[in-house]
Amino acid sequence: MLQFLGGSQKMCSGLSRRNFISAGSLCFGYGGFTLADLLRAEEAAGKKSSHKGLINIFLGGGPPHQDMWDIKTEAPSEIRGEFSPISTNVAGIDICEVFPQLAQRMDKAAIIRSVVGCKDRHESHQCMSGWFPDDLKALGGRPSIGSAVARLQGSVDSAVPPFVGLAAKTQHGPWSNSGEAGFLGAAYSAFKPDGPGMENMKLQSIGLDRLKDRRRLLTSIDTMRRDIDASGIMAGMDAFEQRALDVLTSSKLLDALDLSKEDPKLVERYGDGKPYKYQYDGAPTCNDHLLIARRLIEAGVRVVSLSYGRWDSHGQNFDLVRDHGSKLDQCLSALMDDLQQRDMLDNVTIIVWGEFGRTPKINNGAGRDHWSQVSSAWLAGGGMRTGQAIGATNRLGEYAKERPVHMQEIIATLYHNLGISVSTSTIVDPTGRPQFLVDHEPIRELI
Amino acid sequence: MHQSCLHPNFLRSVASLVTAALAFSFFCVSSIAQEANPAQANAPAQENSAATQAISAVPQLEFDVPTISLKGSDARAQILVRCKSSSSNSSSIEDLTRSVRFTLSNPSLISIDANGLVTPLASGKLTVTAIADGYAPASAEVSVELSSQEELVNFPNQVVPIFTKFGCNGGGCHGKIAGQNGFRLSLLGSEAAEDYEHLVRESRGRRLFPAAPDTSLLLTKSVGSVPHGGGQRMDVDSHEYRVLRRWIAQAMPYGDPNGRKVSSISVTPSTRQMLRNSAQQLCVVASYSDGSTEDITRTVQYESNNLDMAEVDANGLVKIRDYAGEVSIMARYQGQVTVFRASVPIGVLTQSLPIARGKIDEAVFAKLTALGVPPSDLCDDQTFLRRVTLDIAGRLPTLAEIESLQLAQSSGGSPDAVQARRAEIVDRLLASQDYASNFASKWSAILRNNHTSEDTRYGAYAFHDWLRTSFFENKPINILVRELLTATGDVESNPAVVWFRQVNNTESRIEDIAQLFLGQRLQCARCHHHPYEKWAQQDYYQMAAFFSTVERREGTLPNEPKFVSRIANASANHPKTGQSLPPTGLDAPKTELANFQDPRAALADWMTASINPFFAKSIANRYWKHFLGKGLVEPEDDMRISNPPSNPELLDNLTFELIQSGFDLKHLIRSICTSTTYQLSANANELNIRDTNCFSRYYPKRLQAEMLLDAIDAVSGSTTQFEGMPLGTRAVELPDTSFASYFLTVFGRPDSSTACECERTISSTLAQSLHLLNSKEMQSKLGADASYASTWSATAVVDASLSPSENIRKTGPLRIRELYLRALSRPPTDSEQSVALEYLMQRSDKLREAYEDLLWSVINSKEFLFNH
Repeated sequence: MLQFLGGSQKMCSGLSRRNFISAGSLCFGYGGFTLADLLRAEEAAGKKSSHKGLINIFLGGGPPHQDMWDIKTEAPSEIRGEFSPISTNVAGIDICEVFPQLAQRMDKAAIIRSVVGCKDRHESHQCMSGWFPDDLKALGGRPSIGSAVARLQGSVDSAVPPFVGLAAKTQHGPWSNSGEAGFLGAAYSAFKPDGPGMENMKLQSIGLDRLKDRRRLLTSIDTMRRDIDASGIMAGMDAFEQRALDVLTSSKLLDALDLSKEDPKLVERYGDGKPYKYQYDGAPTCNDHLLIARRLIEAGVRVVSLSYGRWDSHGQNFDLVRDHGSKLDQCLSALMDDLQQRDMLDNVTIIVWGEFGRTPKINNGAGRDHWSQVSSAWLAGGGMRTGQAIGATNRLGEYAKERPVHMQEIIATLYHNLGISVSTSTIVDPTGRPQFLVDHEPIRELI
Repeated sequence: MHQSCLHPNFLRSVASLVTAALAFSFFCVSSIAQEANPAQANAPAQENSAATQAISAVPQLEFDVPTISLKGSDARAQILVRCKSSSSNSSSIEDLTRSVRFTLSNPSLISIDANGLVTPLASGKLTVTAIADGYAPASAEVSVELSSQEELVNFPNQVVPIFTKFGCNGGGCHGKIAGQNGFRLSLLGSEAAEDYEHLVRESRGRRLFPAAPDTSLLLTKSVGSVPHGGGQRMDVDSHEYRVLRRWIAQAMPYGDPNGRKVSSISVTPSTRQMLRNSAQQLCVVASYSDGSTEDITRTVQYESNNLDMAEVDANGLVKIRDYAGEVSIMARYQGQVTVFRASVPIGVLTQSLPIARGKIDEAVFAKLTALGVPPSDLCDDQTFLRRVTLDIAGRLPTLAEIESLQLAQSSGGSPDAVQARRAEIVDRLLASQDYASNFASKWSAILRNNHTSEDTRYGAYAFHDWLRTSFFENKPINILVRELLTATGDVESNPAVVWFRQVNNTESRIEDIAQLFLGQRLQCARCHHHPYEKWAQQDYYQMAAFFSTVERREGTLPNEPKFVSRIANASANHPKTGQSLPPTGLDAPKTELANFQDPRAALADWMTASINPFFAKSIANRYWKHFLGKGLVEPEDDMRISNPPSNPELLDNLTFELIQSGFDLKHLIRSICTSTTYQLSANANELNIRDTNCFSRYYPKRLQAEMLLDAIDAVSGSTTQFEGMPLGTRAVELPDTSFASYFLTVFGRPDSSTACECERTISSTLAQSLHLLNSKEMQSKLGADASYASTWSATAVVDASLSPSENIRKTGPLRIRELYLRALSRPPTDSEQSVALEYLMQRSDKLREAYEDLLWSVINSKEFLFNH
């Protein structure tokens, strides 16, 4: 069921450094957790807070906005395409017929039909951070929302990382980018359930008894005065050592990743998204990831990002949307119900979007090509004012006619929902300069 | 893209960096007696005080500034009244401004509030007398000069500072590039003319309404009488409100665009020795370009660099908490900065200090004496050997080195004998290849050397080799930097050109050079004049002009380009004015160059000259930090007026030492490592436990990633294979940071993507603990067939007639000793010996595992993980 565990990446010298970072970054995300975070987390322990969370579902390839959330019924047939709109449970909002279950939950969702500011580049970076990969590249690039949250808010539970990237490696690399740590450095990158960091969390070469023997021996010989280190690093190492033992003996995170521990009925409700079609060099339509995302947030993760399907429909656009769309309809509606049932929907924001939209005009292969002028985004939860569609494109779905919403406004809204003010929060870059998270404000219609 | 640069939080961020660096601060500054501030008229007051005290035992009040003049109706002045502390053996001074009563010879001319703030009422002269029970009173002369007609408010000098004081023009509010809700101000008032344009010309009425000033949005929003996103910023009955109101009523005059500008600001007092839990009112005065001055105490912004020690309010009242140490309060106004420094002694030093072995120790001990902080004892020989070998050679001492130290110890324990054998160790290490490798590794990272592909590999290796050879041969650092700056040709002929390949544009080059070799951060000045920094865009582009003729040309191989300086007039354009700027060093006269001269040579001339105020100082500071764990300025590459050194005299001494020696790095290292300061024990005594920057003891450092991996290999008897490198290559010997290693990454090896040492992190993380505790990598090192655990267990039985555990009793102690020597450079104590031996004997049936466990425990002990 957990195909990304089976296919875990082995460290080998053949990997480039970049690959290495993302392959091995489980531990860094995990490690991006400083002593201050630890103390904060321990302070918060017991208060069992229902923390804010984000599930960022990236539809790699550029989903066709006009065949999903922004059906253009008045456009000529060479633009309109094969789908009919269906009405939703919110009067006046129609969406594509492929999403009947989501239509019945429209009151709990919001659609933005006028997303602008995208670039025609096949990469998730913008959806993960609001920035282009070139921004502040010399310093390591802009951090993604997950890394920034890890930096600003730390962990909820000290045995669980604040930021997890579920995207399994895709042949087209940028689609499986879970969000970079950028200039924040490896310590704040996404925990990925593969690589040596993941391995280190499971007792391997030695058993628990021997580990405990070692610990006892260590305790009796590790007698150096701790108070002579005012930097707190020594104390931090002691604290993390204890925490590491906790991780090795309890397995909150591993359990969250393990769907065999979930109610089979619920697993079935999400569906498995199989058979994986139209995958090529992209992500599979892995419905499990949405359920794992919920389990992770429940276990204390703040931000989960994942990559769902390959939407680059240069050909067979409609077949692809029928396939990917109906699978998405199933697992996304399941996720909404699931969060609702657990009383988590108000705290957890779900966003579903891609790197750009697709051409209004259908090409000869029944496909649509890249269209960065406008695209759509679908959001739910997070305490937002849902049951609305924001913005509009023109009759042909070519550009934002009303209320253009910059991608950074969406990212700002996500930060807002996580309890972070984009107008006051800054992160100091390696040159010592404070950087704002994004340059835009949250979408006032939603918050 | 860069609008965020000047967010008001910047200060906080910078300050918090500083604060973090100085947490539990004891940072040392000069004592009051050494301070000379001509503006304060201290000297006469002190004479006066001494004279009075000779006559009577009643303490004498004094005005810090005995003559006060108020010019204009908006003028205000802060009075300061002080007295020498009543406690006998203290040189602390008490601020009594808020506890004295004031009597006025003419009460109709001024009013004074409880905080000593004077506001003018009418023109004339008067005497103010400060009175307090039990003190001899003091007087000050005050003159008030009001104009007969209403004075016009000056926009740049009076209105803009109000926006700054209340945070209106901060980077989170109207100071953003896009402004806030349609109202835009320049960041922290850096462009008054633009602010005027936006505020007055574009307002179209509602914002500013001269006919009924109180209804102007500028005022109604500021006082919160209409909704304002930023909330209420001021009160209707405040001084600032009255100034803004009058300005609007006067139909918003700008003032003379060529009128006076703030040229500097100064704070009184500038340093003071204070008692714990005491307070001090500050007085800040601006000096203008026309020679006039103005009291701006209530208009400047204050910031404490250590909130644990002192806080400061908006009126400039500093409150010292219950900590001893030193603290700086920064005051900022219109792009100018001044610093007040308070030292709060622990007590009086009663014990004698160790032997001072030169100017380093003298400067350190002077501070310890001033603050009453007793230093720790000298560390023992083994500790010194381990410490200095790690710091100079980047590795643990070998068994042979430890043995030869034991031999040398026969020369006895006299201070001179100890010093002599330690100096010998330093010299031996400095002559080694390991020294060169260690420092090549350090510099390679901050010079951003790495290879991303096969065809950049050769260049990276060659550059590293050039560095290593340079350090081995002890190339003076001024020559090394000159070779780097002026590198011409391709990697074959001159490996230093790789720096130009790696740092591939003029902006990054000039920013890196400034940060690495001048300790100056120019990044902000690329786009604007940073209000809190000295450097303006003009300074930036004049510096950039030095690299304006550098040209990248095709080399023989695609990624091995050639760099030359083309024949042209070196210049760079000021991005705002478009003016063509000639190459000019920071604070330096402009350079006259013919078009055939390589401007980079002129840059090197200026930078590496012994009179350059930045170069030697920044190198000295960087090297001090390498050895002592903390820079005299922190971060080491951010040496601004608002970030003063913790021990200026020490920094000056080191700088002088470096210059005098002809920029000899080995000499600098030798001076540092043979100082008593460097040789102090890491163990703290009761009084210096919280010292983090007086250097009263050695501060433990976690081993850097590469050193730690090498040390684990050395202790466990294993090796790490790096791709493409010969087996046995140690991590510290790697040419750059591109080699994949989970271990190195997780322990904070930098990416070499910036010129900042801060890219290397030593903070502890859970991933590190998990890796040491439970990784396959660690286990394979401990359990490898060639590992010591394996050989020791295989050779444990020496007498077949004895039981396994009796055999261990025979062979174990030597192995345990060997392990301790290799890992900690010392033999085990009796109790460590018996704990370890018992552990082994209990597991005689699985001895190999037991040895692995023992190795593991020693490796995970803090004594191993730290240099101390």
